[in-house]
Amino acid sequence: MAHHQPAEAGKGWSLAGREALQGYLFVSPWIIGFLLFTAGPMLFSLYASFTNYDITSQMAWIGIHNYDTMLNHDPLFWKSLRNTLYFVVVSVPLQTAAGLVLAVILNRKMPGIRLFRTVFYLPSILSGVGVYVLWMMLLSPSAGLVNLTLGWFGIDGPAWLTDPAWTKNAIILMKLWGAGSMMLLYLASLQGVPRKLYEAAELDGAGRLRKFWHVTLPMITPVIFFEIVTGLIGGFQIFQEGYVMGYGNDPGAPMNSLLFYNLHMFLKAFKVFDMGYAMAMAWFLFLIVLLLTLINLTLSRFWVHYEGGEQ
Amino acid sequence: MPFMSLQRLKKSLQLGAVAALVSMLAACSGTSGGPAAAGDTAAAAANTGSSVSPEGRVVLNYWTWWGSETRRPIIEKLVDDFNKSQDKIYVKHTYYPYSDIFTKELAAVSAGDPPDIMMNDINTVQQRASKNQAMNLSKYVERDKVQDRFFPELWNTVLYNGDPYALPFNTDTRMMFYNKDDFKNAGLDPEKFPDTWDELEQAAQKLDQKHGNTYTHIGYSPQFNSDWTLLQLNFDGGRNFFDENGNPVVNAPAKAEALQYILDNAKRLGQKNIDAFKADFGSQQANPFLSGKVSIWTDVTNFYTQIRDYGEGINFGVAPLPETTEGAGHWSVGGGFVIEIPYGAKHPDEAWEFLKYMTDVEAQTYWAEKNFDNVANVEASNAPELQSNLVYKASVDNLKYTKLTPNPLNAPDYMNLINPQRDTIMLGQTSIQDGLNKAQADVEKLVSGSK
Repeated sequence: MAHHQPAEAGKGWSLAGREALQGYLFVSPWIIGFLLFTAGPMLFSLYASFTNYDITSQMAWIGIHNYDTMLNHDPLFWKSLRNTLYFVVVSVPLQTAAGLVLAVILNRKMPGIRLFRTVFYLPSILSGVGVYVLWMMLLSPSAGLVNLTLGWFGIDGPAWLTDPAWTKNAIILMKLWGAGSMMLLYLASLQGVPRKLYEAAELDGAGRLRKFWHVTLPMITPVIFFEIVTGLIGGFQIFQEGYVMGYGNDPGAPMNSLLFYNLHMFLKAFKVFDMGYAMAMAWFLFLIVLLLTLINLTLSRFWVHYEGGEQ
Repeated sequence: MPFMSLQRLKKSLQLGAVAALVSMLAACSGTSGGPAAAGDTAAAAANTGSSVSPEGRVVLNYWTWWGSETRRPIIEKLVDDFNKSQDKIYVKHTYYPYSDIFTKELAAVSAGDPPDIMMNDINTVQQRASKNQAMNLSKYVERDKVQDRFFPELWNTVLYNGDPYALPFNTDTRMMFYNKDDFKNAGLDPEKFPDTWDELEQAAQKLDQKHGNTYTHIGYSPQFNSDWTLLQLNFDGGRNFFDENGNPVVNAPAKAEALQYILDNAKRLGQKNIDAFKADFGSQQANPFLSGKVSIWTDVTNFYTQIRDYGEGINFGVAPLPETTEGAGHWSVGGGFVIEIPYGAKHPDEAWEFLKYMTDVEAQTYWAEKNFDNVANVEASNAPELQSNLVYKASVDNLKYTKLTPNPLNAPDYMNLINPQRDTIMLGQTSIQDGLNKAQADVEKLVSGSK
């Protein structure tokens, strides 16, 4: 196609040039949107993070003061970072594993399987404060269903949302309930694994576990990788849970055990109008996430299997 | 052959991407749909409120969060009366959910297009004044001399560098509601509520009822709808966490004593029992005071409406908070809301007329009567139709001992540093003194960091 290029003399534009222009025209809504609503605000926030910006009255250059306060003078900064790291480190692998296990269980042909798939997927379409309030009732220490069930097995359940040692675990548990959305991705990719690979493996005498380990898992590593990367990024942004489920309506309570990074940032930005500081925090988080994603990309070479070979 | 499966993989990835996109979209519409939808209904509501036409008048946008079945007719009646009372100004009331309205106003102020009149929190007036979010009202106040309308404690809270940036609108105060029949049955004098905290603790023990090892009825716990942030101010002679020079006094001895009092009570009752009781607390009929599970209950003036509507003839009394020793003072804590003109509003002269109207005797009396709320206007608070109610009378008397706790400008979020230490102490993970010293040090750091 590209080889034939009838000369349309006098038009001023070569076909390649016209095609390029049309291409840019087609993507321009996205580019303009990106520049206006993403890149612009991001650059602004980078600049403002070096100022005492408070939205309404001031925006004076204060150098690295915000970053200095953050790293050296704000005990809640480290507390919130630790809380968030704990959540990410425990929650992301657990969610990935739970989603995968669910998908494997639900990836079989049996009557009614669609119903089960729907049931496990349903929690992930429910979102927001309503779900949290529901879970606050489920997790109530004496009357909640969770501890009631634990009681049947002779386990004296913890005071989930009031004992600071348990609050984050309670949220992680709650989040597992929504593993259905991950399950859907895995399910799709599981169904994409070609039958003939299994047949070949069976001919070689591989059992179920071996087939899973040597055929299924490698074939779906791209999706696992995708889930881990996006899960990590999403995990660092945890916010609402700490805001809504804080004990006694105090965001992050008890003992700031639910004060997540973004919650601390939000409180600084919108409760005390320390927007410059909040923007500095946002950029610090951006760097952390960027770094982790780059590490992930590098490591992916050693375990993610693309069937088409390396790109 | 590999080509085929790559295609398939691609297909499955596409499927996955679509699924992810759909759930993202669902999440987006979930978060943005609420406020927008609420805005629409609010706008719709504003158009039906008044019987007066805005034509030829200056139209003022007035934002509140009073959209509930109870409060909306009251605020709209006040707005309507104002609109009828004169022919130059038309106030258009719009309500937004309490969770959105303040960020919405902040965005509007920074965009230079704020509402003309706004309700807001009284404890953060100075913050907004210092950040150019609220307008300096001194020229109007000097002209119209309205400051004497208000309780002095409330008026002081709206001043920043000596200038007013808002007018106080309503307020509240915490008192002790108690069940007189329970008192009688326990052999206590139902007409005399304990005067000191020690006497209260002794009375509370007589009011407890146990069935085996579990409490079926608890007389009183300072953790029931109340906590250390209230008690520390009472124990410390009405002083909050900062002294008159603005220095933090988080680890003052009186504040430690207040914590000790709460811990002693928790030790006697068992924190687990207190938590179990609290887990079942509800509102209306399920309020533990109204359902007879608790004899003494700390609450604001407005709690009377719940007693009236759901208490089924409960024989109750109301009293000020106790004091540490006789004569130390029955200090209590209040809050409230102000009415203000956002910075950059286009019609401040007209808006001021509405501010004056809303804080004048007639509107304030109406608001107080209909909501059973304490109001900022002294004369309205003493109106005979309000004073004839014993609870209302007690609440107005209580305002004398009621302190507001405005956020200091150099450490507006200091409670975020104190609360976790309080939690640590309450959980027994550190001693009172160590915990409070840590909180004191953290707040000092916050104060010095903002200089």
